[in-house]
Amino acid sequence: MNTEQQLKLQAFLDGELPEGEAREILAWTQRDSAAAALLAELRNTRAAMAKAEPHLSLPESREFFWSKIEREIHRLEPGEKNAPEISFFAALRRLLLPAGALAALAVAGLILHFHGSKPVADNLADADDTTVETTLASTDATTYRDASEGTTLVWFSPAVDDSPVPSKKPTAIN
Amino acid sequence: MSGQNYSSTDDAALVKAARRGDLGAFEELVFRHRDKIYARAFSMTRHEQDAVDLSQEAWIKGWQRLGQFQGDSSFTTWMTRICINLCLDHLRRQKKHRADSIEEMDDESGGVERQMPVVAVNPTAGLERTELRQKIDGALGQLSAEHRTVLVLHEFEDLDYKEIAKTVGCSMGTVMSRLFYARRKMAALLADLKNR
Repeated sequence: MNTEQQLKLQAFLDGELPEGEAREILAWTQRDSAAAALLAELRNTRAAMAKAEPHLSLPESREFFWSKIEREIHRLEPGEKNAPEISFFAALRRLLLPAGALAALAVAGLILHFHGSKPVADNLADADDTTVETTLASTDATTYRDASEGTTLVWFSPAVDDSPVPSKKPTAIN
Repeated sequence: MSGQNYSSTDDAALVKAARRGDLGAFEELVFRHRDKIYARAFSMTRHEQDAVDLSQEAWIKGWQRLGQFQGDSSFTTWMTRICINLCLDHLRRQKKHRADSIEEMDDESGGVERQMPVVAVNPTAGLERTELRQKIDGALGQLSAEHRTVLVLHEFEDLDYKEIAKTVGCSMGTVMSRLFYARRKMAALLADLKNR
């Protein structure tokens, strides 16, 4: 029996031959004992395997095996599959909020820049409810304005004068 | 897991949920079919750790390709195909790193199996299923990767010659040749195991 015949015998067993050829092989196995014996061996092996696929269990716990898969999924596609879908308006709001905040800061900075460059006296004059009283004849003033708090702090201190104190002459009143 | 109980949900609904990004649904699918996918990887590689790694890789690929699953076959069949392809790639890489064995050279030229006497008595007759499984498993472990692959795809996956040729990437003649020698060697190994 040559290789081609052997392979045809197997193809016959597996139902891979056209009907005409299959009939020829069947007739051959009926008159050739060697062909019949080989066909029987192939059939026995096929039948044994068909009903006896080894049953195997994964040698790792469900939790451990899944944790490795889950970690790899997250690593390969961070946030793609699990991120909730974001609506167009929500996305727009996300974009506009920081931009609006930046614009507000810029405007505040500009106001402070121009407003804050006025002389202290002007700033004080602008404040409607501010009343400044001092009994000191000669003082130095230090001003601090906190725009975010909306407050202005002014420190008054006696002026330091290095010149000699002028002598006071009593004035005669008639 | 999302905390939802999926135990009573069928595979099709789990696949649908997983395609929407529900990892909990996918975890349930892994839980249900992990042994089958592992068993297929092991039957092809015969190496426990490689089989664990390859089945894990198959599940990750499955998640990534869920959008391609058309539902023409069952989910497990689809997953098994992914696993088989990964195992074939793995075996090809292994083959590149080792010298060709006599068995592989014999693969196309005839081989010693062709000359072996026919096993006249069915060596598996009368065996209990558990014992038969053990013997089949033992015999499979002694086949070359090429022979085993074709045998597994034909007997366990029910692929025909043409499908095997396409999956493995060889001619139909090679498939027939490998399957014939694999069966003959299995018969001899089973007879030998019975006589021990």
